[in-house]
Amino acid sequence: MNVLSRPPPAGVHTDYGATFPPKTLATLWALWAAFWLLMITVSIEDQLRDPLTRWWEPVLSEGSSALVSTGWMWLAVRVRGRYARYLDKPLIWFGSYLRWLPLVFITWITAVYAIRHGVYAAVGRTYEHPGWGFVVVYESLKLTYFTGLWLGILFGIDSYGQWQLQWRRLLQTQKALAEAQLAQLQGQLRPHFLFNALNTVSALMHTDVARADRLVAALGDLLRISLRSNEHEMTPLAEELHTLELYANVMLERFRDRVTLDWQIDQALLDIPVPALLLQPLLENVFKHGVEPTVAHVRIIVSARHESGSLEIVIGNSGSMLASEHRDGVGFRNCRERLGIIYGNTASLLVRNEGDGVATRVLIPLMDTIQ
Amino acid sequence: MIRAVIADDEAPAREKLERWVAEQPDMTVVGSSENGLSAAQCIEQLRPDVAFLDVQMPTLSGLQVAAQLEPSSAPLIVFVTAFDEHAVRAFDLNAVDYLLKPYDLDRFARTVQRVRERLDAHESGAIAVAIGRSRAPSCERLLVPDGERLQLIDAASVEWLQADDNYVHVHTAARDYLLRRTLQDLLSQLGEQRFVRIHKSTAVNLGSIGSLTPLFKGDYEIHLHNGRILRLSRRYREALFARMGQ
Repeated sequence: MNVLSRPPPAGVHTDYGATFPPKTLATLWALWAAFWLLMITVSIEDQLRDPLTRWWEPVLSEGSSALVSTGWMWLAVRVRGRYARYLDKPLIWFGSYLRWLPLVFITWITAVYAIRHGVYAAVGRTYEHPGWGFVVVYESLKLTYFTGLWLGILFGIDSYGQWQLQWRRLLQTQKALAEAQLAQLQGQLRPHFLFNALNTVSALMHTDVARADRLVAALGDLLRISLRSNEHEMTPLAEELHTLELYANVMLERFRDRVTLDWQIDQALLDIPVPALLLQPLLENVFKHGVEPTVAHVRIIVSARHESGSLEIVIGNSGSMLASEHRDGVGFRNCRERLGIIYGNTASLLVRNEGDGVATRVLIPLMDTIQ
Repeated sequence: MIRAVIADDEAPAREKLERWVAEQPDMTVVGSSENGLSAAQCIEQLRPDVAFLDVQMPTLSGLQVAAQLEPSSAPLIVFVTAFDEHAVRAFDLNAVDYLLKPYDLDRFARTVQRVRERLDAHESGAIAVAIGRSRAPSCERLLVPDGERLQLIDAASVEWLQADDNYVHVHTAARDYLLRRTLQDLLSQLGEQRFVRIHKSTAVNLGSIGSLTPLFKGDYEIHLHNGRILRLSRRYREALFARMGQ
């Protein structure tokens, strides 16, 4: 009767290797800007001591380098989507970029020196530099060094971005899988519950017509509630406990002589809104793991009370303990997720051994729920 | 009279079956159980003609109960289940009778009629036992008599088995049990993974073999970890070596 269906997770549309989280690009350009700012500053500082040099000369020198380098960097960033699939093969990734290095040398040196010569000529001066042979070798070496450095940074940032995307995709896949399992579980539980309940009615009506009648009515109500409710709905605690009671009545009839159920409800709390159909799967769990596999008599206590600013609902059963390697099932995780969506981390759901049995404890913050 | 045993952990379901079986002129309920282990005990002690076994029960499921029975002497078994698509498919294929909850008197009457026909044809519950063994993970545990009661032991704790006419001595480190089963049948229940036959009347748990000593004419002595020495006959030698070589 657990009707917890949820909308499909908001998907991040990605073609493998073509997209990166937007923050990675911002980080890259921020680093780039900081790098050139530093280069220009250092260069100005250096030249200030030389009285023959004007202030704009180092700015022009580094600025022209920065301008042309940024053009190449922009191109490198443009094609990074195409090379992203090689991120797990660094040699191929670096090779794909580095093969453009000769072209970079030629265009970079040509463009930078053209700008410098142009600007000097415009102010009526001559740009003096060592011979072209020296310039080509010196600048190529410098370019190789900085290209290597920045490719390394780009590689790091892109690898991290890809890892993030893949991690997110993995989480989504796991979530979808859990949902599929839940749907499957529901498909198995519901018919099983119904057929067994129907068989109980079929047995009872030969001996106690009034009881059989009550059982059919309870079943009908339960079906109506489970068809009507959805997980976004809130319902007063009284209503939720009534649903729980209907379910319990059917189960108590089935497991007559094996179970007793006591209610300890603080009547002052009955109007507090709680998520609809939150408790029924928890009680179902108690029957499935605490009653059905046990030969001994089981006592179940359902209590609701005010506990330091929270509504505390406990479903406890005697006679069975959690296995030491116990892991929460899909039903539990789903309930916990619902609580998280509605109340953030102020609500909790815990199941643990207490005394001679197991207690399932739900804590719902009171301040947020009073409307 | 057809003697019936009924097992269901839900009282109303059990009472319904008890009433309807008792209402049959030629049937009588000789035992009624609330869980699998006591159902197995009932069947063992009362030797009924037919057993109605709920599939989902505490301690042992209906299928596991069937899996523990000796095929040739097993009663006819009617599985009763609320919803088990796979089990139902298996029953269909093998034409063993089953009741799907909830069932009405007509459907129950058809089951009873089928039971009568099978008993007249002197059929045993062998098919049901085979189904139980194929569907229940029972080969890890073995039901053994302990005085008046039955108890479950781990198949892994069994060191070796010794046939004795229609009985099998089950030797564990703690003690020995005597089972009214054939060695062949017990081995088929326990599966081929763990136990291997070393003699016409002996089978051994591979895990309890310590060492082998060759004897005259191709026979071997098997030394168990517990110090006992068993004889490996030539006939089973190749099979054992093949298994140990794996």
